[in-house]
Amino acid sequence: MSKKFLFGVAVFLLIMLVLVPQILLATDRKDLMSVATSIALNSIIAAGVWLTFYIGRINIGQGAFALLGGYVSAILIVHYDVSFWLSLPLAGLACAVASVLIGLPILRLRGVYFAMVTLTLTEVGRLLAQALSLTGGPKGITNIPPPGALEFFGLTIIPDFAELENLRLGYYYLAVVLMIICFAGMWRLVNSRLGFLCRSLQQNEELASSIGVNVTHLRVLAYAISSFCGGIGGAVFASIVQSIYPNTFPIQESVNYMLYCFLGGLNYVFGPMLGTGVLYLGWDFLFILGQYQLLVYSTILIILILFLPNGLLSVRLPGMKRV
Amino acid sequence: MKTKNFLSLVAGLALTMSPTAFAANDTLKIGFVGVTSGAKAAWGISNVRCMQTRAKWINSEGGVKIGGKTYDIEIITWDTQDNTTRAREGMEKMVQEGIHYVVGPNTDPTAAAVRPVAEKDGVMYFPYAFPKELYSQPASNAVLGMIANYQSGPAIYKHLKENNGVKSVAFLAANESDALSQRAGGVSAAKHLGLKIIAEDAYQSDTRDFAAVVTPIVEEEPDLLVLSGVAGGTAPLIIRAARELGYEGFISAETAQDAEQLKEGAGSLANGFISVGGASTPEIRSAKMEEFIRRYTEDHGKYDDESNTKVYALEYILETLKANPTAIDDVDVFQNAMDDFEAPNPFIKGDAKLRYVGSTSFGQKRQVGVPMVVTEYRDGKFETLFVTNVD
Amino acid sequence: MEQIIFNGLFLGAQYALIALGLTLIFALMNVLNFAHGQMYVLGGYMTYLVYGHLGLPFYLGLLASAVTLLIVGALIEKFLFRPVIRKSVREESTMLLAAGLAFFFDAVLLLLFGQKQHGVPKIMDGIFKIKTETIRLIVPNDRIAIIVLAVVLIVAFILFMQYSKPGRAMRALAQDRMAAQLMGVSVERYGMLGFALGAMLAGVVGGLLVAITGVSSGIGGPISIKAFLMVMIGGAGVVPGAIAGGFILGMLESVGLTTLRDYGDITYLVIFAALMIFLSIRPNGLMGKPWG
Repeated sequence: MSKKFLFGVAVFLLIMLVLVPQILLATDRKDLMSVATSIALNSIIAAGVWLTFYIGRINIGQGAFALLGGYVSAILIVHYDVSFWLSLPLAGLACAVASVLIGLPILRLRGVYFAMVTLTLTEVGRLLAQALSLTGGPKGITNIPPPGALEFFGLTIIPDFAELENLRLGYYYLAVVLMIICFAGMWRLVNSRLGFLCRSLQQNEELASSIGVNVTHLRVLAYAISSFCGGIGGAVFASIVQSIYPNTFPIQESVNYMLYCFLGGLNYVFGPMLGTGVLYLGWDFLFILGQYQLLVYSTILIILILFLPNGLLSVRLPGMKRV
Repeated sequence: MKTKNFLSLVAGLALTMSPTAFAANDTLKIGFVGVTSGAKAAWGISNVRCMQTRAKWINSEGGVKIGGKTYDIEIITWDTQDNTTRAREGMEKMVQEGIHYVVGPNTDPTAAAVRPVAEKDGVMYFPYAFPKELYSQPASNAVLGMIANYQSGPAIYKHLKENNGVKSVAFLAANESDALSQRAGGVSAAKHLGLKIIAEDAYQSDTRDFAAVVTPIVEEEPDLLVLSGVAGGTAPLIIRAARELGYEGFISAETAQDAEQLKEGAGSLANGFISVGGASTPEIRSAKMEEFIRRYTEDHGKYDDESNTKVYALEYILETLKANPTAIDDVDVFQNAMDDFEAPNPFIKGDAKLRYVGSTSFGQKRQVGVPMVVTEYRDGKFETLFVTNVD
Repeated sequence: MEQIIFNGLFLGAQYALIALGLTLIFALMNVLNFAHGQMYVLGGYMTYLVYGHLGLPFYLGLLASAVTLLIVGALIEKFLFRPVIRKSVREESTMLLAAGLAFFFDAVLLLLFGQKQHGVPKIMDGIFKIKTETIRLIVPNDRIAIIVLAVVLIVAFILFMQYSKPGRAMRALAQDRMAAQLMGVSVERYGMLGFALGAMLAGVVGGLLVAITGVSSGIGGPISIKAFLMVMIGGAGVVPGAIAGGFILGMLESVGLTTLRDYGDITYLVIFAALMIFLSIRPNGLMGKPWG
């Protein structure tokens, strides 16, 4: 790790943890605080999608895992009185387990077949949530309480969100810290032996298999990590809007997560973060255009992809390391 | 039509670029958070257009007087894309803009998603979504902007049972939250009336050809086919498919429909289709309502029946504010005033009143009082079947 | 029962036509065209304008749909997809472009035609009925006309692909791009033609179905997704696969809606879950090329 890189990380942390919240607080932009929170959470979910891209799979099914994560957390909190802080990792784990079961058969598919089967998965998730009674059926689960206090031997590590003076700030820090952990993990993974193996899958699975890579294990592992991210993001989202419905993460969202990855750049770990930020904020800024919002948004999107088909990060900025 | 719309597109773009016109009055911002794009665009767009038409009208007459001050109305709109996260952000945006009164959202999930923000930051919102918990204690900031299906459904079934001898009912809904919840509400209301439920079916929301969906229902020959929560565009498709397959019973819906779409989509096959119309009929509407329709048509082309209901939310907000000027930035005052609020209803002939209702359904007055007009479609027009009120 | 089979066939014919265009574009350029449904909608509006609005004959409406989409498709290929494919490292990048296009079409269609559902006068009146003790079938004549037209179109398309020079060139390209290129097939020209044809098919079927199901600006996205399903069942990039996929999905829906309704609203859940299982067993659909 070069000094330059460490410096970059430090600057990034400073911006995300101090500068952004302070500026938003000082200018009293409550709305942007929530937008920033959504961006952080969406980048976590998109990071998962990005990892499946990294092993050469187009994943349009992340919405299903965000939904599952949201439901697992909501059901644990509402029906079983579990603390949010415990439900969060459990939601991620539930998604990881589910993704192993689903992934084993479907990861054999490639290209558009995998893309389409995951697309179907999003819809299956919605219909399943609608058909079951545990999930509240079409009425969903509402009135999910905000996260309570997290105490460790009588020491309050995280205060009760319900008593927070600024709930938005609480969620912002929660989302951003999770995002930082997530991307640190991703970066570590990509730069490890595992990441190297993943790249070998992306290029040629047969070849990788012939030199002794256990392709099946690796694929399922990557997919499980990916779904874990989806579940975490979904659980926090459900907590923020205090409700979850079968169509909280529709196909459109699954497609969006994929677009975030594309726009950021599929070969860059931090691509999904940048892509999410740009697309999400872009939409919000175009809000002033009223009914022409979508027209201008899509035009800009088309122009961007026309000039930067390999993602925003393919523009080589000084100090930006290609990973 | 195409060229006209294109011209308005260009004109609109030009308008967006030009700086806002200078206004002598203070501005009162009213928000709209609802769906104006995608498959459900029709629901939110009629909301927005009503609000914009009415605001423009008020402003052209010098604004609205609230507590000795005159305000120009500005409508701030936000497209939720029928997405919960976007809906919540829309509400945050409204809070940021200092708005306390918001119309929308249009669907159950988005209405639930804006609730925490609205309650925490003191926003009254007027959803077009039916879950009772939004309007019942401890919730206090939501006001139902229309008549719920669990209010209109029983009235329609009762009418058909008593006047037309309807005994058996089949329910058909889109396979998604809002419609399925409404179907459940309809089923329990019909059971309560002693009607026989012979089918509860669902279709994917993207269905275009309904022959396969309605075939099994038609074969059971129900006296009444209820289209729960059906969208204005879907109703003609279902009606046409069912009628062409030889269905002869009644068809009804508890959502507002559009005569133009029924005419284009199903023609004379839609005759006899019963729905809850907008809250206005030619017989009861006032000159002011006629004027509203004229202005709406001038600005947006065709008028639709649904807008007869959607004109009300803004009117209720403004009239309640007029009566309680301090409520302009204090929703507690607004809430306290709701129980006894009363003002003349400008859109209806005679001495009709604007009054909040909903005590029976929600245990508190959290619904705008509009006439419940049940209509029957005939040859391109809605004919009034009966008019009643919700308490 | 007869009714259910006819419903399934009718749905299947519509689906097959929608899937044909999508699979053609995919076969030639490896582009998953997210904007396919929007092209269908545009085609629907063209027929609506010409036939429903101006009152000209229905076939002129179809012609207008076909020509409009042919031009739109060609332009999109030449000025958008071709440069992006040339420059991108991973060919999946075209999905972002396709999705952007889908948004763009959605926005334009909504602004131009409004949010309302539109329909046209029936192209043919009357209803065809058979009612005996064993058979009960009711079909409106316009549906019969549409299904005949749809089948004619499908057959014409197959013949075109099978026997015409451009058809053969496109098949060669789809089969082995490199070899075809070496044999002197112009990738640029036939890529563009294929894209334009695919778009045209979407437009024509949109125009055809206006007569039955009308058109509305917001339905493009769901139609694309449904088309993906059919292509996936039959196998991506193969013409017979798309046709088979379309008919299978149509039949599954029709039969499922009748037989599974007693168990609640699970018809589509069962269909989609079955689809996932089917693909796990046959990773390339019924007859798809091995590497989608």
